Amino acid sequence: MQFQKGQKVKVARKSRDEAWEPYMDDFIGLHGYVTDPDTSINDPDALIEVSLEEKGTHRLPQDCLEQIVL
Amino acid sequence: MATQTCPVRSTIVYLSDLTESGVLTDPRERRICEQILNLVEEISEGAAGNDHLSAIDALVEEYLDGKGSQKTRVNGDRLKQMLSENREVFESHIATRNCPSHDCGKLAPSPCQMACPAGIDIPTYLTLIAKGEDARAIEVIRRDNPFPWVCGLICTRPCEMMCVRSRIDTPVSIKFLKAFAAERAMSEGAYHNPEKKPFNGKKVCVIGAGPGGLTAAYYLALMGYGVRVIEALPVSGGMMMIGIPRYRLPREVIDREVAMIEDLGVEISYNTRFGADITYEDMKAEGFEAFFISIGAHRALDLGIQGEKEFPKALEAIGFLKDVALGNHHAPGKQVVVIGGGNVAIDAARTSLRLGAKKVTIAYRRSEDQMPADIEEVEQAMEEGIEFSFLTIPKEILGSEGRITGLDCIKAELIQKEGSDRLMPVPIPGGDFILEADAVISAIGQYVDDKGMEAFDRMNWSRRGTIEVSHASMETAMPGVFAAGDAVSGPATVIEAIGGGKRAAEAIDRYFNHIPQPRMPKIPVRHHREPPVEMTAARKMTLKRPSMPMLNVDRRRTTFQQVELGYDEESVRKEAGRCLRCDICRRCGKCIEVCRDKMGIDALQLGYLAFDHSTETDFRTTEKKCITCGACAANCENQAIVLEEKDGHRNLKLCGTLLNSQAILYCDHCRAVLPSAEYLAFIARKTGDMVKKTQHRLLCDNCRRSLSAKINVETRPSDPK
Repeated sequence: MQFQKGQKVKVARKSRDEAWEPYMDDFIGLHGYVTDPDTSINDPDALIEVSLEEKGTHRLPQDCLEQIVL
Repeated sequence: MATQTCPVRSTIVYLSDLTESGVLTDPRERRICEQILNLVEEISEGAAGNDHLSAIDALVEEYLDGKGSQKTRVNGDRLKQMLSENREVFESHIATRNCPSHDCGKLAPSPCQMACPAGIDIPTYLTLIAKGEDARAIEVIRRDNPFPWVCGLICTRPCEMMCVRSRIDTPVSIKFLKAFAAERAMSEGAYHNPEKKPFNGKKVCVIGAGPGGLTAAYYLALMGYGVRVIEALPVSGGMMMIGIPRYRLPREVIDREVAMIEDLGVEISYNTRFGADITYEDMKAEGFEAFFISIGAHRALDLGIQGEKEFPKALEAIGFLKDVALGNHHAPGKQVVVIGGGNVAIDAARTSLRLGAKKVTIAYRRSEDQMPADIEEVEQAMEEGIEFSFLTIPKEILGSEGRITGLDCIKAELIQKEGSDRLMPVPIPGGDFILEADAVISAIGQYVDDKGMEAFDRMNWSRRGTIEVSHASMETAMPGVFAAGDAVSGPATVIEAIGGGKRAAEAIDRYFNHIPQPRMPKIPVRHHREPPVEMTAARKMTLKRPSMPMLNVDRRRTTFQQVELGYDEESVRKEAGRCLRCDICRRCGKCIEVCRDKMGIDALQLGYLAFDHSTETDFRTTEKKCITCGACAANCENQAIVLEEKDGHRNLKLCGTLLNSQAILYCDHCRAVLPSAEYLAFIARKTGDMVKKTQHRLLCDNCRRSLSAKINVETRPSDPK
């Protein structure tokens, strides 16, 4: 999956990446927008910035995210 | 039913009153109260860990242990009593991260404030800008971000992405309104620093004068710490200065805001490389007890193609942009090819054009819709005449005798590989072609240069080559060492670095005071509720986001003048008025439920309330159906929707927007104030008999009851017995 700015996403699952911190467990199931994808090389391994409803803006590993198509 | 305020909220109010009223004249007592307030706020926000209550208990004991006045003892005892009597409520807030009374949500942040990595109280400052109070707006912004002017010009604005107004039409132009207010306040000499606390005897070393480092320095200096910033470059600003071209962010803007930070006593040592010109041991010997690392990500990734290291004009973008920022204004070449599809590639291309390159081409291996650069940046580059070669994979830099003659490329197609949902660029056999060039600039990403960091030997590094921290506190594994910015996140945004710097400053203060660190990033704080701007529903609906005036293309292609010229004052005031004040309306939807389902009126067409399935909104439709019964206002926990009587009218307002206004009527019999004619008609439908008996007179409830009762008694049939 390649994420782009403005895409609506859902934190679908816990990531296995080392960047996942325990407090991020509270984010699972939340919806939000990609606010700053990897802006240089579209690296699927890069942490991307996501704004989650009611939970603020965080850099998350991409494997925990799914695009929402409404 | 009597309502009881949540004890956690009551404690916050009590402590806020105590710290803000000026009654705490002893600095020690004031410090302890502020620390307790901070911890209680985290309990209220669901950000507290298991150590919070014990830390509060210890602070209360410390407060009471001092030789304070009788008043101090009374305050301390009151606080102790509040905590002990409501122990279970505090514990429940920590365990469940929930406030059953909803009181802890009264000052809850809006979606834009939540989205801002620095947590700026956006609705408050937008309202102040709408009212023309620019200096106060800047004061509000600088509580959370010492760079309002810089961010007003270059922020990636996650706030606008989450702006609820975009569910009606377009998001409020938050970013530029901030720039306007900063420029105006600076121009009028009304851009001031807050008062700093006296020096507390403790010193912090900040490594790197970028947005993260300078932000941490600013908040630490305000808290009374001595701060020295070590900077390898001859200028401050980090990537803001050397990575972002001047046509997006003039140098004077950075210099003026950095000067405000220096005015607080922050010392910046330029041309000083940490680990070479000055060491960890040197700083420790000078009494620096905590370190904050914000060294950025300044090393460029290699392309890994032939010719990359052979030619002087095979450049990497970040070094090229740095040289230009530091004064080298020579064109890299006449025909420049920039490799990459991100913002840095666009910046390098547009800069080359301004330096005199005749033709600039961006070569990107994927398609246009997959470019990671901001769409506005891409559009502006296209307007200026930058050419794009999509689906282009570079193979080799060609040339001879040290001069580049071209870039050998191969055309690609995007193919979905098995087991992956990601389209990959795959070379098309025989698709070789040459892009003519005399300079090639690579912009395919950066990484953190860890040289000089060897002394921080207990700090961990991630597999991405970044510094590992707890994101709630920006604390590394090495006690007393904190880090933020690109050094932690990899190449990211200025506002993230600012947010990280602010969190780190708070965490460093906790570290010195032995206060536990939060378990998750702190929820942004709102200090008060600014009354909303009042306007009619029609005006609220018809105000449109202004378009940004731009410098003409010829000048854009030839100079480094600012491209975005900014809004005029009238547009700024109007645009700020488009804010829906989501800090007041929490979008719970109770008003709609009551109006539609309980009253059967359905006068509120507020489709924007839903995050995922927003429907049409029109504030203007309310006046057609509303009977000003006040049921919506009575059920609004946050007083976002209010029914007020003023100048002979009954007005229904949602966060300052006048949804309905009806003339107040009076009782024919006693002159008491009556509900609206529409509401009376509604009641009449429900109480048909009573109205019949009172002969359609305009009566208040009391008179109608007494008169209908009288009629009922007089006309009552005789008892059948």
